[in-house]
Formats: sequence, structure tokens, C-alpha cells
Amino acid sequence: MKINSEKLRETLEKMHREGYKYLVKLTAVDYTDRIEVLYFIRNLDNSKEETVRFDLSTKNPHIPTVLDLYLAADWYERELSEMFGIKIDGRNAKRLLLEKWDGKDPPMRKSFIWSKPYEGMKDAVKWAEKYKDDKDKKDGGQNVIRIGKPLK
Amino acid sequence: MGETKINIGPVHPSTHGVLRLVVTLDGDTIRKVEPHIGFLHRGVEKLVETRMYMQSPSYMEKIDYVAPLSYDELYVATIEAALGIAVKERAQYVRLIQLELQRIASHLLWLGTAINDIGQLFSVFMWCFKDRDIVLSLLEEATGGRMFYVNQRLGGLNRDMAPGFDKHAYKALDYLEKRIGEYQEYLESNPIFMERMKKIGVMSKEEAISLGVTGPTLRGSGVEFDVRENYPYYVYEKLNFNTQFENSGDCFARYRVRINEMKESIRLVREALHIIPEGDAIGMPIRLIGPQPKEKEVMVRRELPRGEGMMYMVTEGQRPYRLSIRAPSFINTAILQHLPKGHRLQDLFPILASVDTVMADVDR
Amino acid sequence: MEDKPYDEIQFANARQEMEKLAFDSLKGRKLPVNAVFAKLSDVTKAIASGTVTWGRKNSLWPMQFGLACCAMELLDFGSARVDAERGGYLLFRGTPRQTDVMIVAGWVTKAMIPEVKRLYEQMAEPRYVIAYGECATCGGPWWESYNIIKGIDQVLPVDVYVAGCPPRPENLFGALMKLQEKIGGKIVENKL
Repeated sequence: MKINSEKLRETLEKMHREGYKYLVKLTAVDYTDRIEVLYFIRNLDNSKEETVRFDLSTKNPHIPTVLDLYLAADWYERELSEMFGIKIDGRNAKRLLLEKWDGKDPPMRKSFIWSKPYEGMKDAVKWAEKYKDDKDKKDGGQNVIRIGKPLK
Repeated sequence: MGETKINIGPVHPSTHGVLRLVVTLDGDTIRKVEPHIGFLHRGVEKLVETRMYMQSPSYMEKIDYVAPLSYDELYVATIEAALGIAVKERAQYVRLIQLELQRIASHLLWLGTAINDIGQLFSVFMWCFKDRDIVLSLLEEATGGRMFYVNQRLGGLNRDMAPGFDKHAYKALDYLEKRIGEYQEYLESNPIFMERMKKIGVMSKEEAISLGVTGPTLRGSGVEFDVRENYPYYVYEKLNFNTQFENSGDCFARYRVRINEMKESIRLVREALHIIPEGDAIGMPIRLIGPQPKEKEVMVRRELPRGEGMMYMVTEGQRPYRLSIRAPSFINTAILQHLPKGHRLQDLFPILASVDTVMADVDR
Repeated sequence: MEDKPYDEIQFANARQEMEKLAFDSLKGRKLPVNAVFAKLSDVTKAIASGTVTWGRKNSLWPMQFGLACCAMELLDFGSARVDAERGGYLLFRGTPRQTDVMIVAGWVTKAMIPEVKRLYEQMAEPRYVIAYGECATCGGPWWESYNIIKGIDQVLPVDVYVAGCPPRPENLFGALMKLQEKIGGKIVENKL
């Protein structure tokens, strides 16, 4: 069913009371002029499924949290906010999958160009060099004991 | 006394894969567990958007590397639903046989590594791997690959079952049934195993439904839900499939569910081999430019060994516009924040072992 | 930390005086110019280095560093059908301090690079690295991903590369035997 983005909490509370208590998946699709968010919910008593979808604009998108209704939405919302750049109102969603990412260019949007092979290589060499100078420190960096001949 | 924070790091002899847990302890009791994931993230969902449909099954197999054939079949079934191609009848039986054999192999690996985590009972690990090799050699005879088999085609398979496959399969299944009965007998009379598994990590029915868990983790808490029974596909209705579930909700119940599932799979393969019809099981060969898709959006569910997997695809010409994968291990790992509270530090590892995660499935 | 068992000020010159005594006593030695027998220290050095190399070569203890799909083949390598212990590669340890060989199996992401480097630095010398599988050799099927590095040899020095996706466990046996030849000093030629 397609609803307006302001009526999300009313609709989900109504369905939760009717018995749709199991959240299957929470995804989003990036059509270039809008972002569509989908909630798949299921009723385990009579095996019925329902899809709730609505549109968001690409400039400054935000959705309210549903953590009090479904505990499964915890990690789904965190993944959505870092992959698509959608802000969640009502909680502080920390990042989950992409460590050491600036948060400027969400990877799943269509504006992120996939094949940038040489840039990725430069990043990796930079990270590896950051830990190269540990052996020059006085205590040898963290958790390092020198046994044997030193590295050339 | 204050609280201490310890780090159970990514490389640990007991974690299944690369998972970091930051545990806050008060003496010996656990107060808070924070899992950090993302050490194996490589962006599979974005990669598939740059390829044609049939260039991607090899990527889908590397998502879950313990049971790769089930993900391969799930992806090909999604494309078949989008292009409107029906599966031939004999091919449905052969696919069912291969899926159930893959489920037996996956549960055997779980049993070996889980018992290894509990008390270093290494002999069970050796027995389970020997039995898993027998099942893998059966699959190698049918498909040609040892660990990664790209043998599902649109509407059928790459090659049909060889004529001598029945005899090898019956012999292997008799042997497996005897061995699984022996494992159950040895383990349930072992006091170390019983003390470390009973009454640990109890999850009630309402909690399990609200947390969104799937697979044997959900069925161990009293919920009778299985995709093969509630949304049946292929010929599961003809073969009279029964859901296995337990009521207690602790680690021992989840172990019991998996052992019973293995026995049920052996029965299903035997019956399918009895009543398989004659005919043709070979599908379309792989072509880069295939038929045009008939549906704009499509959604397919299957029962993977770890839980319920689902794919939602939006099509555009000859390549997918967006493919969204619902991995069962992703949501099964999130319960590690809630279950171990109040237990001791030594009870963390049976809980982690009974949840059966594969880390490449979590990070995709 | 240097904990000396004696008082520094009182015995400030003790070490220098002891060394002077030792060297003075050795100056009075006289060796024959045309020596028929070789010096004992030379003979023991030759025997000792040969024994040590033989011992190092034939008991390589690997460290389990299985990250992804190739780790399944590592588990198969250690179990009963393809036995790892008959070649000397026993005791897959979790700690890097008791091991010789690090077998890197699986793709390495950016978040994992500092962990790999730290574990490599904790191993005792002499130490070797084997890149197992295509993801550790060159990046593998995830060549264009934004989050992985293309081969482990951008971070660590690698001795032997094994190709395959995944390579069979018998391939790993062959790779370890090639490493044994490399330790023993024989240069492996390419015979085609």
C-alpha cells in the first residue's frame, strides 16, 4: 500500500494492533528524483504479508524511528542511514558497516560511481602507511615485543 | 568495584569469522555487549547493478560460503520470476534433492564447530567433517564443483542427474542416518554438554517475534513458522513436510531443532528419489542478452539453512536496477545485544555458537 | 625494563674490568700456523646451522587466519581426509607468538589492515607468509570494490602465492612443500 510520508507512525501502529508484529525487511530504492522506502511486515497467525511504501525527496530526507514497535528495526535503520544518507528522527543511529568513512558520499545512491579502482588503491596504501612508523616509537607501538632480528 | 571492558577481537580461535565484541563486565557477570561488524563488507548489492542478469550467480554464492547452492538457487529463482519462465517438472525434483543435501552439509559443519567452541571436544569436529566430505562428494558427482557450483540455469539445471546417482545416494543416506543417531546419543549423555547448553540464553516467544529472528533460532522458541510449509515452493506439499520446533527457547532447544531438521532432510531426499518422474531437466544456456523482463518488481522467499532469505529486485532492461538481499545472519547477530545480559562470561560462547552466523552473510 | 641485580655506583667499572681480564687471558694463547685439525668452533657452527635449518624447515606451525570462504578449505586441510599433521604442520594455534607461517585466506578490507599488521609484527622471526586464494593474491572477484585492497602483498611481504577460488587443500600442501624448499636454500626453477 502506498501512503504519505507523514502518516507512517499511525499506519504502523494500526497494523501492529491488528497482529502484524514481525518486521521482515526495511529497504530503500533510489530513483533519481525521489527515494522510495519500503517496510515489509508479516502476520504470523495467518501468514499474511503487507508492504508499506512512501516517497521521500532527495534533499534532506528523514524518517521517524519505529524502535518501540519493532525491536528488529534497530540495525535496519542504522544500515539505511549510512548507506543512503537518510536521517532518523528520535535516535542517534551510529554507523554499522562502513568503518572509517566520512559520511559525505553514501555508497548506495546513484550518484556514487562504482568503479574508481585507482582511488581505492591510494586509500589502502595510505592506511597501511599510517601504521608503518610504530616501530620507531619508544615502547614500540602497542602490544609489540621485538624478538629476533629487526625488520629491514 | 568498577566495571571492566574487554575486547574479544576480530581474530579469536572461537569466534565464527571476523566479529568484534566489546564486553562490559562486573566481576564475572556480563552487563553489556556491543558487537562491531563490517570487517568483511564489500558492497555486493552495488556490484550487481553493473552486471547483466546471468553474470552474477557466482557473486551470490560467495555471500554464504557454508551453503552456497541455496543462495545461487534463490537468485536464479528471482530472475525466473521476473522474466516469466517456468521451471520444468523433473528439474523441480532435482533442485529439491540438491538443496536438502546442501542443508545436511551445512548443519554438519555447524555441529562440528559449535561443539569445538564449547569444550574443545575435537573428536566430534573430526567425525562431522568426515561425514560432510561424503555429502560434498555426492554433490561433486552431480554438479562438478567442490565448494562453488554455478549449475542453476533459467528453467532447469546445467546437466541432469547421472544414472548411477541413486545407488550412491541411498548408501550414503543410510550411513548418515546411523551416524547422526549416534551423535545424538553420545552428546545427550555427556554431562559437560548438557550443563553448558541447558537454560542458557533463554528467549521467550514475544521477544523472538519482536526481534525479527529467523530459522532454527525462531523455531527453538515455540513459533511454528517455516517457509517450506507456510509459503510452499517446488514439491514440498507432495512430500508432506513437517515443521520441527521446540518450546523451551534455550541453546539446547536450538541444537535439537537442527538435529531433527537433518533427519527430516534425509527422509525428504529418499522420498524424492522414489517418485521422481522421467523427462528433461536442462534449462536455457547462459546468454548475456536474454529475453525481456515482464515484471517491474519481484520478491521471492526461500528457506536457507540459516533462516529465511528474501530477494527484492527492480528490473531495468537487461540488468537489475536495485537488488535488495535479506540475509538471515544479519538480524540473527543483532540479538547478541540482548541475550547474554546477566549471564557469566563463559556462557557467551555457547550462545554465539547456537545462533549460527556466517560473517560474510552479515556484512554482504 | 632493565632490572640490574647489583648496585650501579659501587660496581661501575665491574663490567669493563671483567672484560679486560678475559681478553688478557686469551692473548697468551698460541695456535700452530699450519693447523691440521680445523678449529672446533668452525665445525660446531656448520653442524649447528645445518641442524637448525633442518629443524626449522620440517616443523612449520601455521597460524589460523581464515577470514572468508578459503577458511573452509583450511578447516578441511586440518581434518582427517587431507591430514595436515603428517607433513609437520600441526597445532593450528590462535596466538601468533608460537607460530611460523601465516596463511592469509580471504579478502582483506580497509578496516582489517591494522589488525593484520599487528598480528604479523607479533610473530617471532623467522616468519613467512602464504597468500592463499585469489582474493589474497590480487583482489579476486571483488576487484572493483570500494572497500578492499588488491592483494595482501601491498601490506606484507609474501613468499608463496596459491591460485584458485578456492584452491583445493592438496594445493596448500604443495605450497608448503615449496616453502620448505625455499627455506632450505634451494632456488625453485620454473620448468615448463
